[in-house]
Parts: sequence; structure tokens; C-alpha cells
Amino acid sequence: MSHDAHATPPGILQRLIQLLALGVISAVLYFATRAAPGSGGNLGTIASVGFVVLAGTLTSELVGIIKLPHLTGYLLAGIIAGPHVVALIDERSVHDLTAINSLALSLIALEGGAHLKLETLKRGVRSLAWASLFQSVVVLVCMTGIFVALRNYIPFARALGTTALLGTALLWGSLAITRSPSATLGILAETRAEGPVMTSTLSLVMTSDVVVVVLLAVVMVFARPMIDPGATFSFGDLSDLGHDLLGSVALGTTLGLFLAAYVRFVKAQLLLVLLAIGFGMSALVSYIRFDSLLAFMVAGFVVQNLSSQGEAFILAIEETGSIVFIIFFATAGADLDIPLLRQLWPIALALSVTRAAVTWGASHLSGKVAKDLPNVRKWGWAGLVSQAGLALGVASMIERTFPQLGSGFRALAVATVALNEMLGPVLFKLALDRAGETSHAPRPTLTSLDLP
Amino acid sequence: MNPILLLMGLLVLAYIGSFVVGERRIRGFGLPSGSEYLALGFLLGPGAFGLLDRTTLGLFDPVLHVALGWIALVIGLGFGVHRRRKTKSQHLLLGAVLSIVTGAAVAGPLWLAVTAWTDLRGDARLLLVAGTALACSETTRESVRWVTERYGAKGPLSSLVSDVARSDDVVPLCLLALCFTSGVTARLPCPMNAATWTFATLGVGVLFGGTAALIIGRDLRTDETWGTLLGISVLCTGVTARLGLSSVSAMFAMGLAIAIFSGQRQSLLAMTEPTERTVLHPVLLLAGARIDLHGASAVPLLILVVLLCRTASKGLIGLVWQAASSHARTAGPLLGLGLLSAGTLSMTVGLTYALRFPGVVGDTVLTLAAASTLFGEFVGPFALRASLRAAGEVQDPAPSPGGA
Repeated sequence: MSHDAHATPPGILQRLIQLLALGVISAVLYFATRAAPGSGGNLGTIASVGFVVLAGTLTSELVGIIKLPHLTGYLLAGIIAGPHVVALIDERSVHDLTAINSLALSLIALEGGAHLKLETLKRGVRSLAWASLFQSVVVLVCMTGIFVALRNYIPFARALGTTALLGTALLWGSLAITRSPSATLGILAETRAEGPVMTSTLSLVMTSDVVVVVLLAVVMVFARPMIDPGATFSFGDLSDLGHDLLGSVALGTTLGLFLAAYVRFVKAQLLLVLLAIGFGMSALVSYIRFDSLLAFMVAGFVVQNLSSQGEAFILAIEETGSIVFIIFFATAGADLDIPLLRQLWPIALALSVTRAAVTWGASHLSGKVAKDLPNVRKWGWAGLVSQAGLALGVASMIERTFPQLGSGFRALAVATVALNEMLGPVLFKLALDRAGETSHAPRPTLTSLDLP
Repeated sequence: MNPILLLMGLLVLAYIGSFVVGERRIRGFGLPSGSEYLALGFLLGPGAFGLLDRTTLGLFDPVLHVALGWIALVIGLGFGVHRRRKTKSQHLLLGAVLSIVTGAAVAGPLWLAVTAWTDLRGDARLLLVAGTALACSETTRESVRWVTERYGAKGPLSSLVSDVARSDDVVPLCLLALCFTSGVTARLPCPMNAATWTFATLGVGVLFGGTAALIIGRDLRTDETWGTLLGISVLCTGVTARLGLSSVSAMFAMGLAIAIFSGQRQSLLAMTEPTERTVLHPVLLLAGARIDLHGASAVPLLILVVLLCRTASKGLIGLVWQAASSHARTAGPLLGLGLLSAGTLSMTVGLTYALRFPGVVGDTVLTLAAASTLFGEFVGPFALRASLRAAGEVQDPAPSPGGA
């Protein structure tokens, strides 16, 4: 059953109804949180899940009026309802809700891998190679330099010696090359864009995970003795990294073959299978310390390229993930540390803007060298601005590895990522709209596909 | 047991459940009320082999809250219709009356039994008796459907039994809201009495249902509708449970309100009905795992009282029915026992009680509901089949051509 093809775009009355509904549910939740303040706990989390799904859905529809992406609506709903603004969702609920991250990230990586078609990659391999090189090296070097240049405005960097400052700046540079696969796929799911800008952005963002992991490991090898004078150079981490990457690829390939066979021969109840894989495999991959993003991405890639089930698989993930993504992004919004952002916004804004400018410059350069299409040269950078969970994960890891930096590094990273998280999707959607790649065709459904 | 492993197990059960009801038909395998999952849960739980401990089970309480709410929503959405046909108001009334009669027949003797064999007094005794009566008042529609579909029953009696089984949920689901008012956690400037809280519970459901109907609108867009339904269901469950109200009652009212106000009842049912069994099987497993008979010496006696009262009341109902209805006259003496099947609603009430009133009251109601479900499983479907056959609504299989 699908009524989508006959659905008319929502009119002003429907928008008013959505606004009214948002008001009603907010009022009821506000009443419940005030009338029974001490009985939150798990029940508070249940209410929060419901609220973020509904408020995210409604807000995404409402921000659509001003052409903002749905993802921005989810984030906004989370920010407003979160503990730092209206406090309809408390901190414990936000913490509980982050349990869904592993599921969301696995679905995101699966879908991202499934969007990478070997044929398209082959055609664009030259462009991808140049873009990866420029976006990694130029951004790393430039952002390292900018961090050093702005040291007087960064609270925790003022006290650092020159060598330690350089080491910290290198870490900041490596943080700057992280992208957001989730934001990219969120926009892709909404716009169903097809074209060179979409393809080049997606392939770059998805492969950048591997680049980031490798580059970060290399940077850490050099940064460790610079920040901690007692430490020595050690390449042992790189050897472990090699094992992890190979293991992740092997595991992902096996999973991909299983999924391809399942979609081909069974097909039924993909939702439950994806849920089981999302939770179960994430726990397994985390236990054996492989890179889950890489493993799931390879699995998606295998399904797309070693079977004829790619399209059905992507649709199944989109249908499964639509609710999960709302919770994921709304929770990310609720988790944004607004007081910290208020405190650090000038320097975070400076770092965010300069990163966007450097990304634009690197994109322009790589586009020239690789002789990219004009649209890719003009808009290819826009999808690279978003940062989210991966960047925050890297920041947390750096904080744990270098306790000498205190919480300052992570705080600044959180503030900067917050800005990139809000600005990036808007830029990317704008770029796809302007490049004429946004699809206006009715959304297909699993049942509408002629599956074997 | 590791919670992730348990979650995987539950997802596998849900997966199996989804196949059992593939293509919206019961294919004839699996017990009608899904009691095998209940028994499996009991064996895995602390009451038997102890593979699942109470701490691990407690981790799944939020999932249970949501699952029970969802089941109540689907019941509400489908209340008063059966396969695109509106249920006659007389049949709705009959279903409600039969559930009241059965509940009352269980409640009276159980009150005496609880007084005689346990130390429970006051509110605890009242809650236990009321909860058990509500849990035992239904005839589960799954079992009736199982019999009618598996044996191809067709005729006025099977149609009436089917309608009654689908209509008797309204009383226990609404009265459950009244029971839960004894533990309201909300603090208001002006205190409210039990009746007001009961109406408030159902009112919250109607408010959310009306809001959902408005959002869904005239154009049903599948993606947004799933987001709306899931979001508002979980929100309604969370808000009412947080206030200490019966989320199951509120969700039933919400489902009914959506069905009435949205004008999309059939489409919504087509979306949600196939999910009911997918959700139910993991719920039954977790419910079974929560049953622990250790240290409850009076429970076997209470089980005996409940089963006897329920059987007697259903038997009596069958006799009255035969006397009053021409269609039932030829159905034979087993008609009443054919209504003994319990399942979805009984376990929903039992489990929601166990979550809301942890301890002796909740555990006992859950155990009695489970006993009622298991007993009904082995008696109800076979008695119903025999009655429908006697009434000429189930055809005996034609003898094979070469047979003796």
C-alpha cells in the first residue's frame, strides 16, 4: 500500500495543523515533565523518543517551507527540546537515546557503501584520488597553520609551548578532515539527488573514513612526543591499524555476501534483519575492535556491486532508517552543548568559516587538476563542510589520549562541530538544488520495485 | 545473559512471528495464542533454568512498555470493524457484556480466595482481584481467527463469535485505567479523584489520537505516517506511564480516536495489523520469563480458583447463548468452552500490571493471566471447532477417493 504517488504537497492549512500539533505535543510533554518531575528515568526516555520522532518529523516539514533540509529540522527539534533550551528532554534521556547511534551509524555506512557503484567509481577514480589528496593534505596543513595563528584566541592553547602547540595544531588539522557520512546520506535520502556533485561528494565522504583513520594514526605518532615530552616515537599503532583495516574489510565482505544472498533469496522482513545486524554486528565489531564504519560500508559496497540487489537494498535501508535517522539527528541536536557554544562561538565560528574556506580552496584546486565538470568544481566542496559524530568521536579519543590538553580541545571541537553540523547540510542541499541534481520524481517504495 | 544476545533472540522471535502471519493469513502453524513463546520464556527465566536474570529482564522494561502500547493501539484501530465490515452495535454490546460477566464471575470467588489464603488486604487485594478479573475477561480474537481460518468456518455463528471476540476488549482496557489511578505519580495543584483520572487517561489518548489524525490528514503519505504513528504512540506511552496512568488504556483510546477521526482506518490497519504478532511474540517471551513461582505458595490455589470460575462462567454463557440464539442451538454443549481462549489482551493486562505494580500484586496477576492463557490454549480452539462443526459451519474433509 502506498498513497505517496497521489499525495499533494502540503498546503498552508496542513502547515498550520503541523504547527498546532507541535504545540499540542510540546504542551502535553511539558505538563508531564512538570507534574511528575521525579518519575522520569526509563519512562522519561520513552516519552523523549516519541517526542523527538514526532517533533523531528513535524519540524522537518515546517523548515521545508524555507527550503531548509529535513535534517536541519531534526537538529532544531532536538536543540529546542533538549536540556539546554526548553528541557522537554533531560540529560539522562539524551544519554539513553545515544544508544541508537550504533544502529544509525551501521545503517548509514551500509547505505553509503551501497551508493558506491564500481562503475561510477572507476569513471571518477582520478577525480576521487585528487580530491582525497587535496582535501586531506591541504586541509590538514592549512588548518594546522590557522590553529597556530589563532592560538591567542583559544583559551587552552595560550599556555602551550611551541612544540606542544604544533602537536595540538596537527591534531586539530586531522580533526578538520573528518566529514559527516550521516549528514551526506541524510541529504541524499531527502533529495534523492543524482549527478556528478552527488556522486563525487558521496564517494569522497565515504572513503574519507579510511583516510581519516590512517592519517589520524600517523599524526598521533608524531604528535604524541610533541605534546608529551616523556613519550617516544612508536610505529606499533600503525601495525595494529593495518590489522584492523584488513579485518574490517574481510568482515564487511562476508556480511555483504550474506546480505546479498538474503535480499536475493529471502527478501522478507529486511527491517528486522537490518535491526539485528545494526545492533548485533555493531556490538561484535566493537568487541573485536574493528572499524565498524568501514566494515558496514564494505558490506553495502559488496551488495551493490556483487549482486543485482543494490536498489532494493538501499530502499530497505531508507525505509528502516527513516525513523532511526530522525532520532539520531534530533538526539545530536539535543546533545549540543549550547552554553559551551555560547561561550566559545567567536573562535568556533572563525575555525568553522576558515575550514569551509580551505575546503572550498582545496576543492577548487583538485577540480582544476583532475579536470572535473564545472558543477563539481563549483559545488563539490559544499557537501564536505558537515561534521558530526565521527569528528566528535575523534575529539573524545584525542582528549583521552592527551589528558595534558584537559577538556579544552574537546570543548572547542564540540563547539566547532556544532556549527558545521548546522551549517553543512544547508549548504549541501543548496548546492544540489543549484546544480540541478535534486530529484522531483515520486519516491519509490520497496513494493513498487519489481524484485526478483 | 548479555542484553545484546537477548535482543537478538527477541528480534529472531519477531522475525518468526512475522512469517507466521505472512500475507495476513494464519498459516496453521504455531499455537493460536502463541503460548509456546510464553512457555519458552518461563523456561529461560529465573523461575526455571535462570538463563535470564531479573536485572537483564529489567533492561527491557522500556521496550515492553512501548510494545504493549503498540498492541493496544492496533486493537483500538481495529475495534468495531472486521475485514472492512462494521461490527453490529448489538455484537459490540454483547462482547462488552460477556467480558463483564466473565470478569465478575472470576472476581467474586477470587476475592474470597485471596482473603482466605493470602495476607493481602486493602488496596493490594483490590488491585490483584481487579487486575485478574480484567485479564481473564476476554476471548482472544487470535484463537477464534485461527479456528475459523484453519478450518474454513463460515456461517452466522462463527461470524458472531468472531465479532464478540473482537468486541470484548473495550471493557478491560477502559477499566484498567481505573485500576491504575491508585498509583498516580502526577502532583497537581488541585487533586483529582479516581474517576477524573480515568477519564483523563482516556482523554489523553483521544487528544493524541485526534492530533495524529490531523497530522495524517486526507493524504496518507506512508513515510510521514509511520513517523507520526510511531512518534505519537511512543510519546503517549511515555507520558501516561510517567504520570502513573495506564498507557495501554490511553493507547487503545488513541487508536480508536485515530480510526474515527482520520478517515484512513483501513489503510492504517493495513499498515499496522501485520506488526501485531511481530511485536506480540517477543512480549510473550519476556512475559513468560518474568513469571516466578518460587515463594508464592498460594498461587497454585489461586490459579485453580481462576480457571474453575472462568470455565464455569464461559460454560454458563454458552448454555445461555444456546438458549437465546437459534444459530447457536445446534452448536452443542462445548460452545461456552470454545470461548475460553485467552491471549493477547490477557497477557497485555498481566504484563502491564507487572510493570506498574512490581511485587506480589503484579507478579500474581501476570501468573494468573499466563495460566488462563495456557489453559485456554488447550481447551478453547478444540471446543470451538467442535461447536462450529456441530452447528454445521465447519465442513468435514471429503473422504479421499481411494480411501476405505
